[in-house]
Order: sequence, then C-alpha cells, then structure tokens
Amino acid sequence: MDDKKENRTVIEAEVPMGTVHPGALEPYRLRLFVEDEIVRDAEMTVGVNHRGVERIMEGLPVEKANSLTEKICGICSNIHIWNSCRVGEIALGIEVPERAVYIRVIMGELERLHSHILYLAHGCEVLGHETFSMRLFYIRETVMELLRMIGGNRVQYGSAVLGGVRPRCELDEMRIQKLTEGMNLLEEGLNDFANRFVSDPMVMSRITGVGVTSPEDALRLACSGPTLRATGVELDLRTEMFEYDPFEYDVITEDDGDVKSQLLTRVFENFESIKIIRQAIRNLPDGPITNRSWEMQDTPITKSYIEAPRGTLYHSYALEDGRVRNCVIRTPSMANIGAMQYSAIGHHITDAQLCIVQCDPCFTCTDRAIQIIKR
Amino acid sequence: MSLKSYSRGRAIHVMLVYTGGCNGCDIEIVNCILSPKFDAEQYKVFLTWNPREADVLVVTGPVTKHNEQPLREIYKAIPEPKAVVAAGACALMGGVYKNCYGDIPSEEIAGPVDQIIPVDAKVPGCAVRPQDIVAGLVSALPLLLNAD
Repeated sequence: MDDKKENRTVIEAEVPMGTVHPGALEPYRLRLFVEDEIVRDAEMTVGVNHRGVERIMEGLPVEKANSLTEKICGICSNIHIWNSCRVGEIALGIEVPERAVYIRVIMGELERLHSHILYLAHGCEVLGHETFSMRLFYIRETVMELLRMIGGNRVQYGSAVLGGVRPRCELDEMRIQKLTEGMNLLEEGLNDFANRFVSDPMVMSRITGVGVTSPEDALRLACSGPTLRATGVELDLRTEMFEYDPFEYDVITEDDGDVKSQLLTRVFENFESIKIIRQAIRNLPDGPITNRSWEMQDTPITKSYIEAPRGTLYHSYALEDGRVRNCVIRTPSMANIGAMQYSAIGHHITDAQLCIVQCDPCFTCTDRAIQIIKR
Repeated sequence: MSLKSYSRGRAIHVMLVYTGGCNGCDIEIVNCILSPKFDAEQYKVFLTWNPREADVLVVTGPVTKHNEQPLREIYKAIPEPKAVVAAGACALMGGVYKNCYGDIPSEEIAGPVDQIIPVDAKVPGCAVRPQDIVAGLVSALPLLLNAD
C-alpha cells in the first residue's frame, strides 16, 4: 500500500451546454471549464433568440410600438408596456391621472408577484424538490386569475396606454373585492410555503453557501434588482419613481449573496408587493383613468428607467411625426448575466445550473443587440 | 386496444422546445402540466427535456435563424411514433416578429414551424391558454396510440 503513488492528475475538461439542453429550460449556450468537477470558468453566450424587436418598432406609430414592447418578454410583459408608455409620457409631457397610476402600480406589483413565484418554482424544480414547485405553481394561479380578471388575458394584458390605462382595466367594486380576497389567500399560501421552506434541513443544506457573490463583485458586474439586493446592497429603483411615492414598503436585502439569500429575497419581496397592493386598493382615488388631452409633437430621444421584477429596465426612443425612432431597450437579465457566470465559479458542476437559476434568468428578453462601453 | 397503445397511453412524454418566442407560451405550457390546477399529469402526460424520451414535441416561438437547425435535429432524435404540436401565434404564423413594417419579412425569423418540420396539431392564442394546450395534446394522441 505504501508504494502506491497518489494520483494527482487534475482532469481539465470543457463541458458545453446548449443551445437546447435537457438541463436548461431556455435556449442559451453555456461553456463550463472544469477541473475535477470544480468549475474554474464559465462562459455564457446568448443570441439564438434574437428577433430584433427594436428594428420592428422603428417607424411604427407610437401606440403600436408600445403594444409591441409587450411581446419582448412573456413574464414581465406589463412592465415593458408601462415603461414604453412612460417614455412617451415624459417626452410629450402627458399628465397621467392619479387613478391610472394606482392601477398601473397594482398591475406592476401583481406581475412582480407572479414573476417571483415563478422564479421560486423554477428554483425548487432545479433543486429537485418538485412538491414545492407544484405548490408554488398552485399559489401562482391566484395571481394569474387576478391578472386575467383585470387585463383580460393571462399573459399579455396590455393595460397601459399613452396617458393612462385601457378602459378594460378599470377597477370596479367587484374587482377590488376579488383583489382583496386574492391577496389574503396569497399571503396565507406564501407564509405557509416560507415556513416549510426555511424549516426543511435538506433544502437549506443544499442552498446555503452555494453560488456566493459579494456586494463588491455584484456592483462591479453591474447587477440590478433582487440579484443585487440579495448581496446586501440596498438599491431599489422604486424608491426613486414618483409612482411609488404614496406607498409604504421596505426594501428587502439579504446579507450572504448565496442561493439561499437570493430565494429568500424574492420570498420577502412578495410580502412587500402584497403590502403595496393593499395600500393601493384602500386609497384608490376617484377620477378618470385616461388623459386624452395631449398633442403629438416631435421629441428628442427620451429615456426612462423602471424597476422590473428582475432589475432595472431601460427604454428610450425619439418621436418623429408620431412615429418611433432610435429605439433602445435594455432588459435587466442582460445586466445579471455577469453574476450568473461569476457565481458558478469555484463550485461543484452540479451546482452550476442552480447558480444560473438563482439570478432569475430570462433569456428571451435578454437577446438584445447592445454595445458594452468599458470605462 | 393493443398492449402497445395501452402502455403508450399511460406514459405520454411531452418535450417543449423554445425557439425564440417571448416565454409567455412556454410558461403556460409548463404551468399546464405542472400546476395542480390544470395538471396534465393526471392524464399521464409528463414533461421531459430529453428528445429521446419524448413522444410529443411542443414547439413555441417563431423559430429564429439560429434555432432552425437544432429544431430539425430534435425532431429527428424523437423516436417514432411522434406528434408535433405548434403552440401560440408565433409558432403558427410568425406572430408579430415575422414581418417588420408591413409585409417585409424579418431577416431574423426562419418562418413558422410548419415550414421546418411537419405539424400535427395547432394551438392558437397569444399567449396560449392552458385549457387549449390540453385540448391540443389530446387531439394529437390518436396519432401515437393508433400507430404500430
């Protein structure tokens, strides 16, 4: 036994995944460079989903272009049309009625709820805990029904128009009643889930200390949204948006930056969203929901930043004869790709998929033509 | 009912391919199979991501240029008998992405799904409703069960 030499050969290999792979739900290409099952480097490539929505938007009338932005992403569709309308409203100086702002906030928060619950369900599925995943899909169905009730469709609601919201999305007493009941149901279900989730030792041991991103690295990689907040940086664009001024809520942060903090940030943000929706229902002001007294004019390029469920969303365009020019869209998952690559490094290859999923990827909206300017 | 179709009918595996849609249809399909509300698993329909295990291929999205070749290869990898369900407005006719500005075809899109692989059932909607998906899957099942 003594003369047997220890085998110290380190096997270096490249593990390619994608673009369609049984382990990944969405099409993207991932290359993992491993040394003895430990990931040393990761490279993620997007681009297979590029459809060029900006190109299609170029030259369309602004109302049409707004409704087209909704088709960028099927998860956060409302936030895209809201932000696109916001660009037009800032450019043309349209004053949005207060009731319309409240309804937009309600839709935005409902969407944040369904996006975060979907994220948690996806995370639990990747963890291999299908019971939690099904449970969360069941909870999510409440939100989807509420969205269908207000917007008329389960995925693309098209609630915002230039100067307000669509008449279809008016909240009458029956709808407010159903919203209140839905929020109670949701809070109960999420509380139940959160208690079971944190008291499950198997799940906790699987996610604690995996995929750690430090706050300095998260800022260096220009992450945004809950991915950044889970590392301990208190940065939420909602605090700077005038739409959210009347509401009281906390900005959720977690300390560790691992998968556990990422999941728990989303769980606690759900409760904040429920809080905001309850305040909005209680203080819903009366009045019109659409302001139609505005005139079209040519405007220079106008920007708008908004807090989407995944992070900071940017839209900008100029108007020329009522038509959209020089449209640029930057989606939050684009910023979080750096964190996805970075957090997988140094961990076991079986955790690589979990490290990517913890950053809430949405590769369909990520495929934009962008130019990275290094300073 | 023969033994083959009896056993096939109790393990229908659905493979879902995203070919560049907006994710809305995809999540509704996952929702319709996994969520306890629609729960296609009670009809012995399961979700898989492995083409060699699959019986039914559900395609969403307008099939971007980069996704055309993978889609053909996935279709080849599925063992016979197989059925293809195209779900969503994009998969049926290219949706909003097919043409940019009028009828000028967009260079990014390789075309609706039926120009690339044969389609057996079509499910319309933007985004598709889970009830329609279950109906579309059920309408494609005779192809599998009646095959030798």
